[in-house]
Amino acid sequence: MTNSLRHAASFRDPSGFLFQRKGTLYRQVNEVYRPEYERLTESGLYKSLLDDRLLLEHEEVDVPPAEETKAYKIIRPERLQFISYPYEWCFGQLKDAALTTLEIQKRSLQFDMSLKDCSAYNIQFHNGRPVFIDTLSFERYREGEPWTAYRQFCQHFLAPLALMALRDIRLNQLLRVYIDGIPLDLASNLLPGRTKLNFGLLSHIHLHAASQKHYADKTVDKKTVTRRMSRVSFLGLIDSLERLVQKLEWGMIKTEWGDYYDSSLNYTATALEDKRRIVQGFIERIHPENLWDLGANVGFFSRLASDNQIPTLAFDIDPLAVELNYRSVKSNGERYLLPLLLDLTNPSPDLGWNNEERDAFIKRGPTDAILALALIHHMAIANNVPLPMLAEFFHQMGSWLILEFVPKSDSQVQRLLATREDIFPQYTQESLEQIFAEYFTIVESVKIEESERTMYLMQRKTG
Amino acid sequence: MNALHTDSLAALIAGTLFDLLRTKQAYLDPGSGSYLLQLLIAGLLGGMFAIRASWGKIKNFFRRGPKNEEELPSDDEQS
Repeated sequence: MTNSLRHAASFRDPSGFLFQRKGTLYRQVNEVYRPEYERLTESGLYKSLLDDRLLLEHEEVDVPPAEETKAYKIIRPERLQFISYPYEWCFGQLKDAALTTLEIQKRSLQFDMSLKDCSAYNIQFHNGRPVFIDTLSFERYREGEPWTAYRQFCQHFLAPLALMALRDIRLNQLLRVYIDGIPLDLASNLLPGRTKLNFGLLSHIHLHAASQKHYADKTVDKKTVTRRMSRVSFLGLIDSLERLVQKLEWGMIKTEWGDYYDSSLNYTATALEDKRRIVQGFIERIHPENLWDLGANVGFFSRLASDNQIPTLAFDIDPLAVELNYRSVKSNGERYLLPLLLDLTNPSPDLGWNNEERDAFIKRGPTDAILALALIHHMAIANNVPLPMLAEFFHQMGSWLILEFVPKSDSQVQRLLATREDIFPQYTQESLEQIFAEYFTIVESVKIEESERTMYLMQRKTG
Repeated sequence: MNALHTDSLAALIAGTLFDLLRTKQAYLDPGSGSYLLQLLIAGLLGGMFAIRASWGKIKNFFRRGPKNEEELPSDDEQS
């Protein structure tokens, strides 16, 4: 089939692959995977996982395969709003993804199946919860065999979680460098020495790394290994990992913007309420299909969209803000809001084989509406991005733009300029309107009460 | 236990296991270290799991009275 586009990240597993045809994503299940697929669906495991919303639902469809000679079945997975990656998740999200993976593994064992891989990329956040998306990751459990995905679980989940909790929350960014998870010898080197006194971390990270190092240049024929791993030991291994992950907690260290709304910087109660009212009015007026809030903090304004069932992504650079936002999503059972970590000055790039396995942030757009509140001065002044480049960026990312202009006279901008020369003569409201008018139609502008800031509603110019 | 002692212990355990398994040359598997570590710690983890599960059953017995729960596996073979 020449009209099928095989997904660039779907090439490692011979069991099948993802492909796209006329805008719809399908998964081809290859003949070689037939026994495992039948076991998954007929054993009751598939239904059990769906009942607890642990696995993404799919539908078997009668469409021509992408590679006919290998094909057994074609399935159409439920559509996801957005694909996010582990280096964009906060601590709580990675932890929940790890626990979901282990829960699936335990459930699989009840049905005499096991996960053959444990990539964190097999988890996506869907309707507010982590869900496993790779239907072809299940294989028959063979009693006596160790867990083939153990190394991958430790590299993709345990090592980053331990480093984030016990060394520095920002070390999740190592996942951006190491696409198959953080090497265990690196994790072992970076973790504090006291972690060697913890049995779980000693076994699964430090001894694990030592064992890998010891066998790295040695040849071992597994057929000659007479030692076996019983089912109880297998369950013990999963239990040990689960208890270890559950105990890992981040101390919630305060970061620069963590208490932004609590301290109500630069807003009187009237100004904050007026800003909320204006944003709500703009959102109701355009009623976007989806919305990205860039610089969302804890999601106060994002919820003006997501509470109205508009699928919303709340991006922020601050791990604490994203963590707090995610905790709210969980405790409120919110289905339409997904908080994610993003440094807009250096967004996620294309990664992996041929730079095609993981898409850059920009490639995962555009969205219908962008919310850019109290953001522009950070980009234009703290990061020296000229206003025309900002206008161009927003233009490629969304059909609608809700923008807050923060003038130089604002104390937040004064703070940014306090220790540096003002080299931004173009940073004025008049310039902004003139520059953005080349890319957008300025539909409305409203000054926020008791504030020097102005809110804009802009619509992208096409053609 | 300090870091030096732990590293020495790790090397000793890994070396012992390697000696135990050293028979003939074959395909080099990059996951060998992970594979063999599991076998090394399997007995301990299985034992701890079984004890915890049994302890849970005992606690349940005294809290709620005798109850017919699913049978827990109790052995962990090492050949």
